Amino acid sequence: MEQTLTDADQAETITAVSIKNYSYSYPRREGRVLDGINLDIQRGELVALMGRNGAGKSTLCRSLIGVIPHSVGGTVWGEILINGLNTFSTSVASLAEHLGIVLDDPEAQLFTPMVDDEIAFGIENLCYPVEEIRESVEWAKEVVRLEGCGDREPSTLSGGQKQRLAIASALAPRPSILVLDEPTSQLDPVGTFEVFDVIYKLKTEHNMTIVISTHKSELIAEYADRIVVLHEGKVIGNGHPRAIFRNREIMKKASIHPPQVSMVADRLAEKGGVSFTEEDYPITRAELCDFLRKRGIRL
Amino acid sequence: MAMIVYHSGNSLLHRLDPRVKMILLILYTMVVFGVKSFSILGILFALVLLLWKSAGLPLSRLKKYLAYLTGMIVFLIIIQSFFLPGNINLVKPIFPEGFPILPGRGFVSLKGIVMGVLLGFRLFVLIMLMPTFIMTTTVNEMAVGMVRMGLPYKIAYLATTSINMIPSLQDEATTIMEAQKMRGFSVFEEGRFREKMKAFPALVVPLVIGAMRRAQAMGVAMDARAFGAGKSRTYRLTLKMTGSDWAVFFLMVLLAALLMGGAFILDREVSLWNRL
Repeated sequence: MEQTLTDADQAETITAVSIKNYSYSYPRREGRVLDGINLDIQRGELVALMGRNGAGKSTLCRSLIGVIPHSVGGTVWGEILINGLNTFSTSVASLAEHLGIVLDDPEAQLFTPMVDDEIAFGIENLCYPVEEIRESVEWAKEVVRLEGCGDREPSTLSGGQKQRLAIASALAPRPSILVLDEPTSQLDPVGTFEVFDVIYKLKTEHNMTIVISTHKSELIAEYADRIVVLHEGKVIGNGHPRAIFRNREIMKKASIHPPQVSMVADRLAEKGGVSFTEEDYPITRAELCDFLRKRGIRL
Repeated sequence: MAMIVYHSGNSLLHRLDPRVKMILLILYTMVVFGVKSFSILGILFALVLLLWKSAGLPLSRLKKYLAYLTGMIVFLIIIQSFFLPGNINLVKPIFPEGFPILPGRGFVSLKGIVMGVLLGFRLFVLIMLMPTFIMTTTVNEMAVGMVRMGLPYKIAYLATTSINMIPSLQDEATTIMEAQKMRGFSVFEEGRFREKMKAFPALVVPLVIGAMRRAQAMGVAMDARAFGAGKSRTYRLTLKMTGSDWAVFFLMVLLAALLMGGAFILDREVSLWNRL
């Protein structure tokens, strides 16, 4: 029988993550940590979750993989669909093939004594045949550039390598969505760049949908398609990084430091009489240089 | 510095099938427990020492084990000599015949001293035996080995993850102690025993809280990677018993039988110190 896709079906197929009126409260704790979240993330999009500590970023990340409420408990309102699967009625294990997660602490999420074992762990649980496991391990290592580290002990890797290993481990079942919960908060600048480099590669070369919670405004300005700002469990901003970083009110409310380039632009507007439009407000260094060059200002 | 941690290498012991190693470990533990003769224990000691040397395990660690055990061995000797009745007493009983609970005890018997030394020696050989398995087998090999022998994989992982966490807990304890030392808290370094005991919560509380936090994150990471999804799981590592695995297995079982037999024959030795 021939099947035709309705508009609604088509919308469903390109929506990777769909959060509908989602609220959550932890067990034995008063108040909702997430409150009435509505958010759609399209396939191939790189979305950054920003906001101060305790705004609900980690809780949202854990909700996406289903660990909340399956392992943690608590009360849930609304629903989250991952590739059309309801996180409430689908087990965490079944979601693992659609969505991988990387946590902030590089140590805690690596628990086997060898890099190859670490990457294989998830797909072993999913009962992949041995040959496929070996292939996937090699592939994941190549993606995160850890070739040749297969028999090393994870504890001997650098911070950036550890987080790349965590990414590889999440990638092994080849999910289409990757969630990263502050993956660089414990890394030095070199490690941070390594991780963002891999994230960018996953987006551009593998068309993965990526949700990343982070405080690194500079890198988000460079790489993200969209920023979602959380404040006290609610979404208070959702849009292109340029629009979000330009919105002083949101920045202040959520205590987000805009990229330094934007601060320079603001100073220029304030003291130098330069005016920026919605389109040419710079958020990256390249954009600022471009803008100044066009205005005939030499650096 | 971690006391029990995988020590990489490519010796025969490293290459041996983990199942063989596990069964032999259990077997030899029983042999060590069953043997009452010094000479057989001596042979076992030499054998284990040989295994350590052939696997390239650091012999310097033995000194550390002995240092840890000294207190325990002295305690064993004292208790045994006090309470194990023998024919030759070095000191007359402290408690008279009519004394409640311990009538005519409290002597220092020669037999007790010898028995204490034997128990201590046995303990030391036992402690030496463990690393020949733990330090030459990766945690994953252990897990796969246990599962192949019929243990549910969740239990196998429970065991191996605990072993895996020991070094990181040791590291964390060192970090906490160093941080405390830097802020002038040096009881663990130079304090007396009572002071150390009193200060113990200062070390244990942050260590336990840290471990719990880590375990929680590890739980999330394991869940997210589909741990416990099905009744069984597959393994990247495949185990296959080779000819040399079987050969080593049978040889070692034969040797264990010989040692047990030898111990039985050497019963004279036992009867010798029955005269003590």
